[in-house]
Amino acid sequence: MRRFAFIGLASLLLVAALGIGLVGSVFAQDTTICFGFQDLETEFWVAGHKAITETLRAQGIEVLEYNANEDPNRQLEQIRECIAQGVDGIIIIPQDGDSAVTIINEAQAADVPIAVFNRPPNDRSRGITVVADNVSATEQAVEFMAQQALVKWAVTGTTIQPLILVGALQDTNAIGRRDGFFNVINRYSEAYPGLFAAPIEVATEWDAATALANLEAAITANPNVDFIFTSSDFLFPTIRSVLEPRGKWVPRGDANHVIMGGLDGDATACQLIDQGFVDATGVQNLFLEAELTMNRLLQAIADGETQPNEVLIDPGFALTAASIQFDRSDMWGCVLLDEGFLDQ
Amino acid sequence: MTSVYEHLGPNQRLVRQTRADSGRNSAFRRLLRQFLLSDYFVLYLTLIMFFTSAYFFPTLSTPGNVANQLQNMWPLLAVAIGQTFVLILGGIDLSVGATMGFTSVIGAVLMAQTLDPAFFDKSPLWGNLMRPEGGLLAGSALAVPIGVLVMLLTGTFIGFLNGFAITRFKMAPFMVTLVTSTFFAAFALWLTQSRNISGLPEAFVELGKGDIISIYLGPKLTPEIARRDILQFVTYPFVIAVGLAIAAQFLLSRTVFGRQMFSIGTNRVTSDISGIPSQSVIIRVYMFSGFCAAVASILYSARLAIGQPSLGGGNLLLDIIGAAVIGGTSLFGGKGSVRGTFFGVAFFVLLLNILNAMRLDPFVIDAVKGGFILIAALLDVTRSRFINREQRA
Repeated sequence: MRRFAFIGLASLLLVAALGIGLVGSVFAQDTTICFGFQDLETEFWVAGHKAITETLRAQGIEVLEYNANEDPNRQLEQIRECIAQGVDGIIIIPQDGDSAVTIINEAQAADVPIAVFNRPPNDRSRGITVVADNVSATEQAVEFMAQQALVKWAVTGTTIQPLILVGALQDTNAIGRRDGFFNVINRYSEAYPGLFAAPIEVATEWDAATALANLEAAITANPNVDFIFTSSDFLFPTIRSVLEPRGKWVPRGDANHVIMGGLDGDATACQLIDQGFVDATGVQNLFLEAELTMNRLLQAIADGETQPNEVLIDPGFALTAASIQFDRSDMWGCVLLDEGFLDQ
Repeated sequence: MTSVYEHLGPNQRLVRQTRADSGRNSAFRRLLRQFLLSDYFVLYLTLIMFFTSAYFFPTLSTPGNVANQLQNMWPLLAVAIGQTFVLILGGIDLSVGATMGFTSVIGAVLMAQTLDPAFFDKSPLWGNLMRPEGGLLAGSALAVPIGVLVMLLTGTFIGFLNGFAITRFKMAPFMVTLVTSTFFAAFALWLTQSRNISGLPEAFVELGKGDIISIYLGPKLTPEIARRDILQFVTYPFVIAVGLAIAAQFLLSRTVFGRQMFSIGTNRVTSDISGIPSQSVIIRVYMFSGFCAAVASILYSARLAIGQPSLGGGNLLLDIIGAAVIGGTSLFGGKGSVRGTFFGVAFFVLLLNILNAMRLDPFVIDAVKGGFILIAALLDVTRSRFINREQRA
């Protein structure tokens, strides 16, 4: 009898554990927003997640959070679950631009307004899409880097070897950043023949481990690389781990300094610009994007608009070694840095 | 009127009472045993979980949520059936995720209606199988049937490679399928340069989300019923996955091949001595696992409407093996059933639904899910031990 009692008790515990959790979670609020995101691996996503959830909750809105762990199929299932639960609106950070299209269609077919935060769908004609102008922000940052390269070239006469860390190319953000980088490099190459060698592209898949392995291989094969642009600031620590042992992680003014830039505008980038290791970063105005996303979605819910379609652009800007003292307060990463974000 | 009981002496009364208690205990014990040691234990547990949770959180039992959770089950069930077969053999197939990703890409390369040169001009297939006007079968009326057939054959072929390496080179299934997984995952990324392939034919997309019978529950108050109120009941994924499950259960329980699988999983040496063609059976089982992964790939790719090289990555392998094990399939071989895996998948999908409904922090859900799976697996191991003891007794 004891053995059956044991199994019965364990079964009971299993069910009871769920029951206890449920008792504590039953509550009702007027408006419910479903927020589906991927793993928050970078400062940008952590800060974006925080801005959206805290702002919505501060307004008395219930937020159902779903982490899809970088699996678009799981995200689709989660959004369907949200729809079945009768949420009033949906905000997603999709894994890629293709799956975003399917998920938007799914939500709109069920008459639930949906907004996409920062990582836009390939077809922007449906849903609320809030996105940074990646091409423009990148161009502004790389423009500053190219000017630094021009000065170095004029002094040394040595061709500059550029390298770009490319994001996962199924993500339109990654494509925009790559395009912005090449627009500037090609323009300067035409204006100043011999300034730049053919750029080296390093795939990262938005994964630090992949980036580390590929960058290590690229720098070993091309030790003359002296111009690096990363498609996301979260890879600066990875770049450092590759350059530092080679004596190339040095601040501006040192002969071995690698001209460096990125995009996002996170706290690490702000700190590295302060310290002189990084020259420029394209800044996505995170707080503006979060505000645009929430305001437009809540407006659609209030108006009974079930299929709002609109693209809202964050123009972005570049924060450089020259402008940081003036634009510091506009960059979300610097704001977080000054609040002690990196000390947490 | 006095009862007979009152005429009995104190000792006689005690004996009668003890016998009555013993009878009640015996009936209770029999019932408890039937419940706990039943083949349907996981189903009972799932139902208890469902009704308990639905009491506290009514949205779980809404028709919309139930229909939605059922739709989530079918692709996972398809791939978990193949894993069940492999586990019964005493093996493991870690390559199912990569097989799904690779077959997804192969199918999409063949069926895509348009392909953007800006995305794919660096693909090694560009200019041959991939062109601006689409894949090799773009525009053909046979694009979908041939594309699906090639996906199934590709999955089966990868399974064959696994089985062949395991039997002929006597390599550990863990190592072989890990290598296959790494190779085909990387191969899929290389072929597509890490891009998803969209523009798949509508007929293919229908396989992932098309419904055959939909139902609406409630009064018709408006001329048009909102799409969100129409419940998908019988869908193509349902027909495909349940059809596969019935065929697999038949194969497992009603054929010599099925008995040979259990025999090999229980004791390979004895099976060889008994004249069972172990090598052939093992190869065929891994081929079936690859086939099932391809079926799941069709369902997942179709519902997202993209060929996805990273399909099957992340935690999906944990879900697949977890569902099979919770359903009573032994990791040591010789034990398992498709019915059990069906219940395991249902348990798994429901558990995730409940954890989401509990509003747990999304960052701890996977950890909690792991904990519940551990409890359920421990429970199953204990049950199996008791069942074996009972059988020996």
